[in-house]
Amino acid sequence: MTALSPGGVRTSTTFEAIGTRWTITAGDPLDPALLARVDEVIAEYDATWSRFRADSAVARLARGEQLDLGPTAPPLLALLEDLRQRTGGALDPLVAASLEHIGYNAAVDLLAAPGYRPAPRAALHRDGGVVRVEPPALLDVGSAGKGQLVDLVTEVLAAGGHGEALVDASGDLRVSGVPVRVALEHPFDPTAAIGVVEVADAAIAGSAINRRSWSAEGGRRLHHVLDARTGRPVETVAATWVLADTAMLADALATALFLVPPEALTDAYDFRWVRMRTDGVASWSPDLPGEVFR
Amino acid sequence: MTSRAPQLARAASAAALAAAAVGALASCSGGAAAEQPASSAAAAAADATGTWTATGEYQTPGGQESVTVTLTAKSGTVTAVKVTGSGDSPNSRQYQAAFISGISAEVVGKPLATLDVGAVSGSSLTGQGFDAAVDTIRADAA
Repeated sequence: MTALSPGGVRTSTTFEAIGTRWTITAGDPLDPALLARVDEVIAEYDATWSRFRADSAVARLARGEQLDLGPTAPPLLALLEDLRQRTGGALDPLVAASLEHIGYNAAVDLLAAPGYRPAPRAALHRDGGVVRVEPPALLDVGSAGKGQLVDLVTEVLAAGGHGEALVDASGDLRVSGVPVRVALEHPFDPTAAIGVVEVADAAIAGSAINRRSWSAEGGRRLHHVLDARTGRPVETVAATWVLADTAMLADALATALFLVPPEALTDAYDFRWVRMRTDGVASWSPDLPGEVFR
Repeated sequence: MTSRAPQLARAASAAALAAAAVGALASCSGGAAAEQPASSAAAAAADATGTWTATGEYQTPGGQESVTVTLTAKSGTVTAVKVTGSGDSPNSRQYQAAFISGISAEVVGKPLATLDVGAVSGSSLTGQGFDAAVDTIRADAA
């Protein structure tokens, strides 16, 4: 995936970070110092928000500490708090305990305990970036965190003079400069697409249940998009996509669309969407900049 | 506004369905006035094939507005539904948008290799740790 310009300089680079594959493509060669800065931003984000690391800031919060999580915390946690309310508690960062219960834990052993565990009741106290969870509990910002990190990487590239860039964190991506046509991967067939949209100076995020899924005793089929109120994987929606100005918003809303219909969110946020149910029927916003195949 | 047009439904009466869809939308604002379908001759047949159009008018706080539903069926199966509205008030547009988007379709997958795209969006690729755990579960189950 690494494209080399005639001078042997990278214009595209692929790497694995925060548990998924990233590809950065730019119109101009990517300077090694800039890529080092990208690595730094990703490492810093991971050290703050990863629930898979015992030394992360969220892991320390779960042990009862009060911490300043830095400048990424206010926008991320404010968005998640708003969506918690708009989804009636179905989307909630406290869902971490529910995910761990079904095996999506720090060890990622995918060994599910019997039944399901609703997200615990806890208060998230926040003053700016200073956060405390009472009683202490683990946070999962998986619904929006990857999108926020895509935005941060896009900012690094822009600050480095790359007005034309594509930051692709395995399907959650942000486009600057030249518009990019993006295929909507079929959730039941990774070699096919159910549509194509054009993304121009904006972001798209997709969420689907086909990859982060596993099985457990008794024939239970599990995946990672849960209703925090019950701790059960959502069974009615197979995939969602959201186009919005930022990848953080697109990512969060794509998760929210598993839990509430678009009408619950359209008053509050400006976005375009596609939602495909597990029965193979899709619906989408009338102003989608693209096509769904039917 | 939870109306949802049936997808690929067996249409015993496609025209009646179009009229019902009009009624469903119009009743949102109270007072449905769905007109008779443009064509209803063969509509009752279970093997109906053809296109039907119905227009409904309704009163809103913003004035008289209308909505037109065009429904296409082949051998009794609805193959396409198109809704257009005249309402220009933000409220009407919102309802129409909700209604239009509620009309969904069974999707058709096209091979990625045949599409001219710069990126693919779907579920994220998983990391090595996740993949290893899935492999272990599979091995244990085998």
